[in-house]
Formats: sequence, C-alpha cells, structure tokens
Amino acid sequence: MSWTLTLKQPPALRLDLRALLPQALAGRSVAAVETLSLWQGRQSLPLAEFFKVECGDGPEDLLVLEGELARCDRIGWQLAAGRIEVRGSVGDLVGTGMSGGEILVDGNAGLLAGCEMQGGRLTVLGDVGDFAAAPLPGNMEGVRGGVLLVHGRAGARLADRMRRGLVLVHGDAGDFAASRLVAGTVAVGGTAGLHPGFHMRRGTLLCAGGGVAPTPSFVPTRHEVGVIWQLLARSLAGYGGAFAGLPGRRVRRLAGDVATGGRGEILLPD
Amino acid sequence: MTAALEVNGVLVDDEFAEAFPMKGTRLVITAHNADWARHAAVAATGFATSVIACGCEAAIERELPAEQTPDGRPGVSVLIFSMSGKELAKQVERRVGQCVLTCPTTAIFAGLDEGEAIALGKNLRFFGDGWQVSKVIDGRRYWRVPVMDGEFVAQETTAVIKGVGGGNLLLIARDVPSALGAAEAAVAAMRQVPNVIMPFPGGVVRSGSKVGSKYPALSASTNDAFCPSLMGLSPRSQLQPGQDCVMEIVIDGLSEADVAAAMRAGLQAATARGTGSGLLRISAGNYGGKLGPFHFHLHKLLETAQ
Repeated sequence: MSWTLTLKQPPALRLDLRALLPQALAGRSVAAVETLSLWQGRQSLPLAEFFKVECGDGPEDLLVLEGELARCDRIGWQLAAGRIEVRGSVGDLVGTGMSGGEILVDGNAGLLAGCEMQGGRLTVLGDVGDFAAAPLPGNMEGVRGGVLLVHGRAGARLADRMRRGLVLVHGDAGDFAASRLVAGTVAVGGTAGLHPGFHMRRGTLLCAGGGVAPTPSFVPTRHEVGVIWQLLARSLAGYGGAFAGLPGRRVRRLAGDVATGGRGEILLPD
Repeated sequence: MTAALEVNGVLVDDEFAEAFPMKGTRLVITAHNADWARHAAVAATGFATSVIACGCEAAIERELPAEQTPDGRPGVSVLIFSMSGKELAKQVERRVGQCVLTCPTTAIFAGLDEGEAIALGKNLRFFGDGWQVSKVIDGRRYWRVPVMDGEFVAQETTAVIKGVGGGNLLLIARDVPSALGAAEAAVAAMRQVPNVIMPFPGGVVRSGSKVGSKYPALSASTNDAFCPSLMGLSPRSQLQPGQDCVMEIVIDGLSEADVAAAMRAGLQAATARGTGSGLLRISAGNYGGKLGPFHFHLHKLLETAQ
C-alpha cells in the first residue's frame, strides 16, 4: 500500500515535511495520515490542511509527493528505508541525514540537498543549490556515505567537508567544489567553478568536462595512475552522460591542497 | 577391494584419494603486461608446494586477458591454501608484501567476493609511511601506496572460503619417461579446470609421502608403498614387477566438486594415452578414510565421466 500526497497549493510560509517518511506512514489509515502534524513556522498543523491524501496499490514503502513543493523543506529527513518520489521541485534540506532508502526528485532541489547523508541514494533530476552534500551549518562532518546523483547543475560548496561516499553531478558545479573534502569521490560531468578542492585533505574531485581554473596550491603529479583511474572510471561509466567514455580517456592529476598538507587529488580527463 | 578397472589397457585401482578441508583464497595480480604479472605470481607462489613446511600451498590458477581483470591490464589469478585462516592471512601478507608489492607495475585484487575477509593491502599500506591514501569504489576499499614506479594499488581485503586440499592421483608407469609423459598430459588437462591448482613443481610430485615416520620428529616420510626401489623390501609395497616409476599429482581446489572435476580430467587424459605410452596403472593415496572427510573414488570419477 503506497501513499500519494498531493499539495493543494503552495504554502504561504515554508513547510517542514520531516514527519513524512514511508515508515512513519506504514500501517496508518487515511484519516490517521490526514491528522499527522506538520510544522509551519511556529505552528503545528494537520497534514490535511496542505495535502490531499490517497492510498494506492503500490509498494508499501513508497511515498509519492506531488505539487509545487519548492517551499517544502526537509523531505526525507533522516530516511532509513523505503522510497520517496517527488513529482516536482523541492525546498531545502532534502534527504538530510538519510542513512538508507532512496529519494527521487523530478525537479530542482534547494540548499543543503543531501547534507550529512550516511547511506542510501538521493537522485535529483534537476539542479541543486549551494552546500549540497555538505554538513549542516555549524557541524564539522559532512556526507559519510551514500550516493547523491544530480542530473543538472550544483551550486557552490558542493560536498563541503564530505568524508565518504559518492557525489556525482552531470552538469557544472559552482565555486569551491569539494572544499575541505576529507575523503570520498566528487565527480562533476561539466566544469567546476573557482577554487576547486579548496583546502581538501584527501579524496577525489573529478572534472570530466574540461579544465578547471588554475589553483596554485595543487601540484601536478605525472606518475602512472592508470590502475586506480580504470577502477574509478569503469565504476562511474555506468552513470552515463559525460562519464560514459571515461575509461577510454587518459587523465591528468593534481595533488593537494598543499596549503593544508592535503593528499587529495583533482582528476582531469584529457 | 573389488578388481581394478581397465581403461585403454591402463588399470585403475579401486582406490580413493583422501582429502582435507583447507582455507583458500584467490588473488588477481595485474601488471603492465602479462610477463610482469607472471613474474609477480611466480614469485608469490614460490616455495608453496606443501603445508608440511611451506605454510601454504599455492600456484598460478590461470592467466587472465586484460578484459577479465578489474583494471583492464593483463593478469594472473593465483590460489593460496592453508590449514587455517590465520596462517593463510600470514602467508598472504608476506608473499604479497615481498613478491607483488616489489614487482614493477603490479596491482593486486581479491579474486573472491564471498567469504571471511583477511587483510590484503590493509597492513601493507603502512609501507607508504603516511603517504598512502585509500579510495573506496563501489563499496570496495583500495590502498594506493607510493612506490618508485608510481603507485601500488591493493584491494584492502580478500575473501577466504573453505577449500579442499590433497586430492591426488598416482601414475604408475614402466619407467621415468613414461611416468613423466603421463603426468605432464594429466596436469595439462587439469589446468583447464577452474578453481584448482597443482602446487608441486610442474604440478607433479615424485616424493609422495605418508603420515608419520620412524623418526618421531618428522610428521611425514616417504611413501614406501609406491617406491620402486623398495619393491620386495618394504612389506607395504603395492607395486608389481615392471612398475618401476610412480609420479603423483596433488590437487587443491576451492570446492569438493572442483577437485573431483580436476581428478576426472587428469584420469581421462592419462588413460587416453593407453598402455602403449608406458602408463600401466593409476591409483590414489589415502589413509584408510579415517583422517580426511573428502573421498574421491577413482571408479566413481570414471563413471561420472562417461
């Protein structure tokens, strides 16, 4: 038994949807779901004020959200299992802290998409805003696992402080991509903006779409990296787009960020 | 005991090979070209004929074309077996550390997915003196250790599974050339079988052993029952006049079925040569069936081959 929640109209104020998880809805009646509380500003309001609730024959762990949800934040907050499909764009903090399951956004996502993910997969078919796959403001650790897949472009500070996992952007990334990266893989199909890999410690930033702005705190290393490159390129090729032809391309490597004693790398396929 | 079967004039004894559980793993070594992969594999599987004194039994399983390896370079897969997972872990670390890490252009990967994990590059990474970095790709962690030709890439762990060691065939022939010819043909056929190795030099052992010795310090000693020089001297001799040379092939495999398949292939290849080749008889070594849980009956192997 799957759930489909259709937003009646865009809310006047931002709406917090952290309570809407497939597991939280499982086993409830339609009436019970309609009375679930949602926070809007300082008010807790019943879900039925905003959404039309339908119960379908799909998989029990499937939640479908429809409508103009760009003012709806925290969709899939700390999702551990199940699947959320969003037919449209979403607000900020989608998929934050998720540790399992899957979220598909058929539109754009706002700020802080997929931040502090630990597992699972978040796919955004449109663009994501700044600080995607980053830590929550003030926190020291970003993404620790899982996959963030963006078919469009990403804003600035993509994968800030990421420690583990894969962030893959088919389009371009903004300034400071992979800033303060601790480890993990950030793959950009297009180009990255200014200061890529700023203060990165370890990990990999791959820019498949061509050169990045010269950065003095990265040093070119001309040794043979074919083994690890083939392992990575073959893995990413399955995502298609700019990544499909990676195994057949040679790669240049920049190591750094030496400004912080980092041992990360920026990979630039020729 | 029932009568021996005759295949192309070659007698096949109603005997069985008695084999033992072992712990085994497969490693895939790749390199810039097949030669260097082979150099590393040969070194890593050297001095690994018998667990009696080598710590493990290891050999090249087969050579891998570039399209079958994780990094798209030519490679070699090797199998390593030990009597315990702990000993196997020790052997893998030593051999990879001294023979693969040192060999130009090589990289090493786990050749099995399922099983208990033991360290592969996990501890060897410290050779990097702090400059090593890891990369997790598709859930597998690889270590990248800076070395003078670039970087040595090693998967963090390899999987260990329960294998079978000690399958064997005894090829009894008229003379040394005949026995060697039969053994070489059998080994060539058995090398086509996946998941098995024949760990002795050239796949053949001439010093077949029995358990125990008159000397208390020795755990194994010569198999006097099949020494032609002891025919008429040793009360245990099982050789007949004219049977003046015996060669043994020992088989280790990842499963009972793999060892059986290899023994079957070896039996077929040897008997196909007929008595004209000088091969007179095929037997197998066992300890009365009381020590090893795996019994490979030669006649049953022949039956399933037909």
